[in-house]
Amino acid sequence: MNGIRWGYALNQWKPQFDDFVRREDHERALKTISIAGFDGVELTAGTGRWEPLGNPQQVVANFGSLEGFREFMESCGISAVCSWFYDPQQRSMEHLTGPLSPLNPADMDGIVAKAEWFARALAELGGSVLLVRAAPSAWEVPPDDDALNRLAECWSRVGNATMRYGVRTALHVDFLSMLRRGDALEVLLALTDPSAVGLALDTAEMTVSGIDPCAVIKRHPRRVWHVQFKDALAVDDAEEYLQSHAEYAVRQRGGTREIPRWFAEPGVDDGRVDFAAVTRVLLDAGYSGWIVFESDQSPHPATSALHGGYLLQRELRPIVAAESVMS
Amino acid sequence: MAWTKWSYMDHWVTETPQGPQPPSFNRDHMDRYVKQLSALGFRGFDTFFFYLPILAGLYGSVKAFEEYLQDNGFDKITGIFSAYPYATEYTAPHVSETHDRIVADCQATIRAVEGLSVENFIVMPSTTYFQVEPVTDEKIKIMADLWNRVGRLTLEHGMRTTCHFEFWGAIRTREQLDLFFSYTDPQYVYFFCDTAQHTIAGVDPIQMFRDYRDRCTGFHFKDTHTVDTHEAYRTPPDPELMAPQVTRWFHEMGTDGGLVDFPALIREIVTSGYDGWLTVEHDKAELDGGSYAEATCVAKWYIDNVLAEAQALADQGAAR
Repeated sequence: MNGIRWGYALNQWKPQFDDFVRREDHERALKTISIAGFDGVELTAGTGRWEPLGNPQQVVANFGSLEGFREFMESCGISAVCSWFYDPQQRSMEHLTGPLSPLNPADMDGIVAKAEWFARALAELGGSVLLVRAAPSAWEVPPDDDALNRLAECWSRVGNATMRYGVRTALHVDFLSMLRRGDALEVLLALTDPSAVGLALDTAEMTVSGIDPCAVIKRHPRRVWHVQFKDALAVDDAEEYLQSHAEYAVRQRGGTREIPRWFAEPGVDDGRVDFAAVTRVLLDAGYSGWIVFESDQSPHPATSALHGGYLLQRELRPIVAAESVMS
Repeated sequence: MAWTKWSYMDHWVTETPQGPQPPSFNRDHMDRYVKQLSALGFRGFDTFFFYLPILAGLYGSVKAFEEYLQDNGFDKITGIFSAYPYATEYTAPHVSETHDRIVADCQATIRAVEGLSVENFIVMPSTTYFQVEPVTDEKIKIMADLWNRVGRLTLEHGMRTTCHFEFWGAIRTREQLDLFFSYTDPQYVYFFCDTAQHTIAGVDPIQMFRDYRDRCTGFHFKDTHTVDTHEAYRTPPDPELMAPQVTRWFHEMGTDGGLVDFPALIREIVTSGYDGWLTVEHDKAELDGGSYAEATCVAKWYIDNVLAEAQALADQGAAR
């Protein structure tokens, strides 16, 4: 019997800072996710009054308590916030801190404190993984030994801190990340405490980077602590991620080819990720934990969720069920 | 002569392959956005402090973005909007212990527009009402102290700190507004008149302008169909977008049911000799299926037809 559970990332419902703030919006999105076949929901850290699900303080302000939010979720058919994505480089209005960098030793205490803040809440919401943006973008800083050592120290401290709440810290590596360069990711994994820090495998970010997600799972079967199923519609084979301000020029604008969407929901036409193959490799690796479907952004969030649900129900669940029977 | 100093407050949303996004989604979307504003005759551009790093990323620097605006018929970036709307342990204008951190944060925004000729540093002077109540004279004095500090600072960099009051903020009634201004130094703290916000709060924006003409540095020309008669302003956690009774507070000028008397306001402005910027704003124009392009067209049509006529009458009166 494997322990795979299926979740969906809510971020596609919030394209802008002042969208998706009302309770009825949350209710409709959670019911959509539930009826599409998913059990958990992944949140993205946010800040301020129009981010009701962005951090523990805003959740409490909106739902009275974490327990109140959990009851609300359950009333919509969702059992847990399986995971929270936290990028320390985002500004916090709650603490009025600017971007924090895992490369800056002076920021480390602040990052640990915020990670604990999320982990405490996640534990109460039924979750088990804090995803962190592991490193700044490649155009900002090269992954030399010194930088990788500082990252390892920061995330090992964070991982040990969140573990106290029963929450594991998983490094999320995006296609703009400095960890995409050379063997930086391999080195970082070797430098971090394997009992405290794992990997959040995002199938699309890997594929856009030209990295085979299955190969990563096979190389690090014990380090994959969280999985995001997101499809990729193009590959950055010209290494445009090294461009200055790649967040806007490449990720949003689509680079010189003006890719309209790098990412899409699993189940989309022309997607480059073979989700059945990734699922089998995860099963072979003995993976147990959440697999979260994600579209990242979508012109039609509910449609994206249903396309994902179709793939899940018709193809992936049967694969997992068959493996359970065999074992 | 028709009023030419119209600026636009940067709330726009565009449809992208990834769903609705701000035009800063990419430069192509910015291009289409800026060309539409240019076609409508806007010459000033107001934006939020949190868009500055994005604009710098897209164009190389905020200055380069301003030059791009100028290539499209704009004069410049006219205002930067900054806010601390939600009280936390670290940010609460009515708690003096948080002031150093807020001032430091304002300094970061000032640095982001260094070298430009932004005129207005627009701030929300308080957080939500429910987080401050009971609103006392002492708390209003503490908030005034903060903005006196910030105002002195921004003035050193050529910008006037100007207070934009929200219907849901802790300074919302006429008595509270008067008390706040009595505690602030007219050298350092100015008045920014948002027509809809005051109307929702039951305050006459025209009378506010009349009484604070010497301290007024700008306007948001924005309409509303609703006066808050059921104390929505006290609704936690956010009355602006989450009040149960009202899903949409703000509308563009020129809609049926609008409560603001804009012709009377423009007459008052002309008569007073005010010669600053007038800003068109319409938050959340996409609600009820609306579009920003259409809302901005409707508002500018109203300016060029209804308000121009009111202005012409006021000009004639002034000439006599």
